[in-house]
Amino acid sequence: MDLKMDLEERLRAETWGKPSSVNDLPQRVPPDRQTQFPNFASHKNLQKREDQDPSISNYGMRIEPSFSEFNRPSECQPPLPSNPISQDRGVQMNDILQLGKTQEWDPKAMLNNLSFLEQKIHQLQELVHAIVGRRGPVLGRPDELVAQQQQLITADLTSIIIQLISTAGSLLPSVKNSLSSASTPPIRQLGQLGGILNNSGSGIGLDSNLVLPSQGGSKVPDQSNQVDPMDQSAIDNLEDHESKDDEDGDEGENLPPGSFEILQLEKEEILAPHTHFCTICGKGFKRDANLRMHMRGHGDEYKTPAALAKPHKEAGSEMMLIKRYSCPYAGCKRNKDHKKFQPLKTILCVKNHYKRTHCDKSYTCSRCNTKKFSVIADLKTHEKHCGKDKWLCSCGTTFSRKDKLFGHITLFQGHTPAIPFDENKGGLSLQGEHNEDTNKVGNVSFSFGSSTPSSGGVQNIMEDVKGNVDDPSSFFSPLSFEASNFGGFNEFTRSAFDDSEGAFSFLLQASCNYTQKNGGQSSSNNLE
Amino acid sequence: MASLESLTEDLLVRIYKGLASDGDRKSWRLVCRDFHRIDALTRSSLRVLRVEFLRSLLANYPRLDTLDLSVCPRIDDGAVAVLLTSRGSPWAFPRAASSSLSPPGRDPLAWTRGLRKLVLSRSTGLGHHGLEQVIRACAYLESVDVSHCCGFGDREAAALSCGARLREVKMDKCLGVTDVGLAKIAVGCGRLEKVSLKWCMEIGDLGVDLLCNKCVDLKFLDLSYLKVTNDSLRSIGSLPKLEVLALVGCSLIDDTGLQFLGGGCPLLRVIDMSRCNGISSCGLISVAKGHEDLVQLNASYSLTECSSILLRCFKDLKNLNAIKIDGARVSDSAFKALSNCTSLVEIGLGKCIGATNLGLMRLVSGCVNLRVLDLTCCHSITDAAIFAISDSCRNLTCLKLESCNMITEKSLYYLGSFCLLLEELDLTDCGGINDTGLEYLSNCLELSCLKLALCPTISDKGLGHIASKCRKICEIDLYRCNGIGDDALAALSSGCKKLRRLNLSYCSDVTDRGMEYLGQLEELWDLEMRSLFNVTGVGLMALAAGCKRLADLDMKYCENVDDSGFWALAYYARNLRQINLSHCNISNMGLCMVMSNLTRLQEAKLVHLNKVTVEGFELALRTCWVRIKKVKLLAALRFKLSSDVRETLHSRGCKIRWD
Repeated sequence: MDLKMDLEERLRAETWGKPSSVNDLPQRVPPDRQTQFPNFASHKNLQKREDQDPSISNYGMRIEPSFSEFNRPSECQPPLPSNPISQDRGVQMNDILQLGKTQEWDPKAMLNNLSFLEQKIHQLQELVHAIVGRRGPVLGRPDELVAQQQQLITADLTSIIIQLISTAGSLLPSVKNSLSSASTPPIRQLGQLGGILNNSGSGIGLDSNLVLPSQGGSKVPDQSNQVDPMDQSAIDNLEDHESKDDEDGDEGENLPPGSFEILQLEKEEILAPHTHFCTICGKGFKRDANLRMHMRGHGDEYKTPAALAKPHKEAGSEMMLIKRYSCPYAGCKRNKDHKKFQPLKTILCVKNHYKRTHCDKSYTCSRCNTKKFSVIADLKTHEKHCGKDKWLCSCGTTFSRKDKLFGHITLFQGHTPAIPFDENKGGLSLQGEHNEDTNKVGNVSFSFGSSTPSSGGVQNIMEDVKGNVDDPSSFFSPLSFEASNFGGFNEFTRSAFDDSEGAFSFLLQASCNYTQKNGGQSSSNNLE
Repeated sequence: MASLESLTEDLLVRIYKGLASDGDRKSWRLVCRDFHRIDALTRSSLRVLRVEFLRSLLANYPRLDTLDLSVCPRIDDGAVAVLLTSRGSPWAFPRAASSSLSPPGRDPLAWTRGLRKLVLSRSTGLGHHGLEQVIRACAYLESVDVSHCCGFGDREAAALSCGARLREVKMDKCLGVTDVGLAKIAVGCGRLEKVSLKWCMEIGDLGVDLLCNKCVDLKFLDLSYLKVTNDSLRSIGSLPKLEVLALVGCSLIDDTGLQFLGGGCPLLRVIDMSRCNGISSCGLISVAKGHEDLVQLNASYSLTECSSILLRCFKDLKNLNAIKIDGARVSDSAFKALSNCTSLVEIGLGKCIGATNLGLMRLVSGCVNLRVLDLTCCHSITDAAIFAISDSCRNLTCLKLESCNMITEKSLYYLGSFCLLLEELDLTDCGGINDTGLEYLSNCLELSCLKLALCPTISDKGLGHIASKCRKICEIDLYRCNGIGDDALAALSSGCKKLRRLNLSYCSDVTDRGMEYLGQLEELWDLEMRSLFNVTGVGLMALAAGCKRLADLDMKYCENVDDSGFWALAYYARNLRQINLSHCNISNMGLCMVMSNLTRLQEAKLVHLNKVTVEGFELALRTCWVRIKKVKLLAALRFKLSSDVRETLHSRGCKIRWD
């Protein structure tokens, strides 16, 4: 048994040391295709998950012992991994993502994948054979072991299915675009898988795992149009989605009462900035991992792989109830005494819920100075969009999206979109603007001369009627053109301030001898 | 005169109401002061040409409910402010002050309470302040038209939204209006019944959706050339009272959208889906099935194939009287499905591939009530088809046969024998017709519009037949009819006194003598005379002196007209609104005269004027910049003109097209 443990230990240490050694595939992906985002996103997500959900974070550890026990024969088949499930979960996820990331169809990689899968199926076959062979002796063992075997096979099958799908997914032309969206389902499934393994409800779990990825696959074409994986917003989306899940994800959970253990943290505990404290110097940390990193400074004994490894529960904790959390605030729906109590899923949920709902909003947006938040992450999310709300309603509400504004207007009677006052130079004073306007014309054309009062520009248009029916002729007079350019034009312009009909008839008669035909017609002439 | 005085006022009003045309009414009010007063008291609509008289006119016509300022230059915020000042004008107009028609002390703004309809089309100089003032002042306004005010945007739309009683808003080609502006109108004017948004390119689904949500009384909606999708049609489908829907050139909609339409709008009567590339017969069938009372359906240039199933579907629509399927591929058998459709009044088959004699014979055999038939570019039809048409459709009033090269004078014989009600005939590019044909055609005494462009075989003689008998003609197109000379114009001037539109371009035989004949046509309104090399200044002078109503003149390439002609034009053609002087021999002086004297000029094309210098252009534009709305100039001038000319033109809403 000691030997076995050693082996296991070594294996784990290796895993920590070089995460991608699970599978040669990721390394074969050309470096130019190894875009930053998928790794980044997956790590981030995984880390988050691990922080939030203790029940999942150590699932790999939990099934490990039994697995290595059964699967030892295959361990001597390098370079293929003896047993993917036994590896660290994060690494495996990475692996899947990398598979999905294969942007263009690479027959070589495909062949590798397929042969890898083939090997895996062989292993599984052997494993089942072994179980069948050992049926007799095993019979004497408790049911627990049988259940473990089932779990093991289920997990292995699931991983094969996932890999198969992501391999197939790499064939789709648009898979590179849909990477971010397509990669989410597997993460979730693994999460579910963890839960399922804990619950030992393997049969149903397998079903759901079968269905979900294929849905993800079929969605690929439409999603590919919407999500650009390189876009920061895609990452944001993922994050946002995750953080939203904190509080609302468990709405429809419907755990039967008593199937979970309710924990209630005290207010002080919730609001404490740190949850992990160094036993030596007393420094506090938000994350256990950070504490472990810190501990290295306190001596070599904290540098061993064992000390740096994630602490895991003892084997006996498998049958432990699922943990759910209650809010300490009396009367809150999240409080266990509430009639329609809805438990919170993780400690992080508790923290965010308590701060959002029962604490002062102490963080104010530095841009708009109006919006307040109690969770700093919320503030940061807001600040990202603050000021970009360019869609404004007459009621003062702003919207970042036009369709949201229009939805609002549809809903509320009498609300209209507001038009921003940007290019409005004249302001509200109408008269002022007119003056400005007419002054401008006056200055440019000089037609009104200096005798025009500043407010009379408008009137001049009408005033023309008095003397000049053909006002444009008045524009002629003082134009600053050299008369020499136009020959006899000067003569023409001189008569401008007379009655224009007369002026023109004079001029035209002089030159062409026309008869004046339309002189006597009155203003009715101007109707049609 | 004694007998006239015995007529009481209400008798005079009755007589006045019998007057049909504007010209008659004008003569009426020039008779005497009493008649003028009757005109003033009875008149309900006013189309003003000069803003200078507007104030006194508004005071003199108390019954006014429609005011049309679309041809009135210089409508701007300043003019509006003056119009709406309530104080008595310190600078009263001499005529208004001396007139006994306006009783002293009357509220100068009384007209605002009576006004129901305001036409501000092409009022590019008006800003949102002025518009808002007008709309607010005319509290009972029900209809407003701001079409072709290209510079209008959301602010102007917001100004319109102040008219809470508005039922009709027409804003075609207000290019700046977006969904936000439309939302303003939709919320502000909840009683809207007619909305036209043609060419408001910025408006999309969101705006249309909101409009349909807020204005449930909509009866008429024009969304032509908008980038709307099926989502809009879904919203439109929810309108309970919609009767007329135009979706011309909405290429983003498809059959799915039409299904929403088929399922909604129970009162839909007229639908125009021409140039919608996304739709097919399938969608049309769903529309037709959903609306049994459909009256008009236009699917021109939308369909590639017009199946007999679709036509059979149309036949089931008992009230359908107009269908247009221009540009679709049709078959003879499909036409059979539509025969005996007695309700049909109008059929459009322009550019239909597969329209043959046989098909048309089948089609028209039962359509006895057909009045309008468009067979443009149906190249394969011959005299036989025309015989079938004229034999079965005796009530035909409009027939378009452009580019039907196979038809000959026989066709005109049939038409002249059977279709005596024919009013409009398009024979453009029908090489087979000749003078004899026109003689046959002259039996159609009702003929008012005749298009003979590109028919080089016709001559003065043929047109003489038409002119001598068809006295009602008001439009003739003789573009590139090389056989036409002065004698034809002589015949026209003596026979067709009502001629309003004439195209003489490239009829190179026409000389000054012909122009003198044209000068006798007092009604002539639109004349195109490109490239008439034999016309000189003398001809243009005779034309301008005679045709007082001339509003649209195109004399591109009339290179032998000299300044004397343009001076005469500047002096006489005071009603001219559009002019094309490109490639003319006009001098600086002539151009300045034309541009400054023609006070109603709104659009001028002034390219390739070799004798005009930059200074000439500058001066000419300065003289007219307060009223000109569109001008076409050589691109080379763009940087030569001084910036204040360009800026002022721009700020007045004038559009400059740089060629």
